[in-house]
Amino acid sequence: MTPIDLVSVLEDAPMGEWLALSFKRDRIVAHAPNLIDAQKAAIEAGEPMPIMMKVPPPYPQII
Amino acid sequence: MKIPYSDLRVKPDAAFPNRTSLDRPIVALLLNRGERNVIAYATVDSGADNCVFPASIGIALGVDIPNPRSSLFSGSRDERQIAYYEEIQATILPMESAEIGADQEPISFPLYAGFCETLEHVGMGLLGQEGFFSRFAVNFFHAQSYFEIL
Repeated sequence: MTPIDLVSVLEDAPMGEWLALSFKRDRIVAHAPNLIDAQKAAIEAGEPMPIMMKVPPPYPQII
Repeated sequence: MKIPYSDLRVKPDAAFPNRTSLDRPIVALLLNRGERNVIAYATVDSGADNCVFPASIGIALGVDIPNPRSSLFSGSRDERQIAYYEEIQATILPMESAEIGADQEPISFPLYAGFCETLEHVGMGLLGQEGFFSRFAVNFFHAQSYFEIL
């Protein structure tokens, strides 16, 4: 199965900020230093169900 | 429910000089508490004892942080971390892909979730043994880049 590509969509995402992805995960709708502001901006931009996440750190491996 | 792995960028390092991305079992979760809701990612992590999320997600759900339901935990470093727990509702959302249709039903369940500052930099939650693996069987097919929640 083809993995979901979060590399491309996060290419130019600002580090350290909360991102609101479109539900189809094909673009960043909004971003802000805190989650609530990013979510609100995405909804106001017409994305009713944004997926909230941060840009993973450069070394995102979890042990 | 079948879910594709998600591909995340990773910086090559001395141990893995040719690796630029890694595949991780990530689900999109609709998290509800009362009238408030957030859709967030969480990694399915059988090595985690509990289900924990970044504090920001708890705040967006109206969870008091701190609250009286605190629990200490640690990661690979011998360092105390603290999470504050609250009863919420979680729904695993189907993640469509070229090989998976839109006909899979969401899976909803009550979740006693922890919220902690130390997951802020990760920006997604962890679904661990108590509350997730205690409720669902999960089959991982890493070589085929998908996992299945039963």
